[in-house]
Amino acid sequence: MLVDQGLEIGDTLSDGCLTVLLVSERTRYSLRIKAEDLTAFNLESGLGLPERIGQSSLTEARMQLCLGPDEWLIVTQPDLDKGLGAQLKRLSDSFIFSFTDISHRNIALTVQGSEAVAAINIGCPLDLSPEHFPVGKVTRTVFENAPIMLLRTGEDVFHLECWRSYGPYVTGLFARYAKDIEMS
Amino acid sequence: MFLIHCPYCDEDRPEIEFSYAGEAHIARPQNADAISDAEWSEYLFIRENKRGIHCERWWHTNGCNRFFNAVRNTVTDKFIMTYEMGEPRPTPEEIEAARDDD
Repeated sequence: MLVDQGLEIGDTLSDGCLTVLLVSERTRYSLRIKAEDLTAFNLESGLGLPERIGQSSLTEARMQLCLGPDEWLIVTQPDLDKGLGAQLKRLSDSFIFSFTDISHRNIALTVQGSEAVAAINIGCPLDLSPEHFPVGKVTRTVFENAPIMLLRTGEDVFHLECWRSYGPYVTGLFARYAKDIEMS
Repeated sequence: MFLIHCPYCDEDRPEIEFSYAGEAHIARPQNADAISDAEWSEYLFIRENKRGIHCERWWHTNGCNRFFNAVRNTVTDKFIMTYEMGEPRPTPEEIEAARDDD
């Protein structure tokens, strides 16, 4: 059990019914653009940003997540997806938008297994049933006292991001829950 | 869990994702250097503090991060309606129509 140990990439807190992994480093960008410019921006940039709050477009190299009416988070694999900044820079004459590298603000966890929903629901009050929170849905929310961003990537797989400083707190909560499962 | 409808997310979301942000529809005076101290303090500090139907701002802090307005009954704590920023204050008829028996 890893409750009192440091945070290492690849930590697995419990086998089988619940696995919590620290995702390797990602590049993250915050993109803000007015909703009315989005269609034209998508056409020019070819990004294909989702249009509704809570929607996501996911590929292996890149996750594009709509968090607010004018706010997107783009999470990329640094070695697979390069040159996004240069690609968008040429659009800065035609559109007013902000594109900020926030890679180091967050850490990401993959929470998976048959107990994943129950584990997240110890600290998150959202209804995570598949009807209300289907695969591909993303939202900012809370996990105990930490603000998090939650994305469902599979039926029993979640991608959870939180501020780096909350990392030990969030993983510690999962570790405690994993211990409860093992004891019961 | 107490649920609040966010007009931007268009979903009922748990209360702890939201922050209260004071009475709604209070416009900052455009002529701040011309008005008296009394008028300025009225803008800053004087609120209706109503018992009953109250228009107020809420902030979906841990969600879409947007401010929106809500009509709430301060006696029963029930939310009657929520609407996006910039929309006018609902008329008493609209509020009455949206109200269920609280």
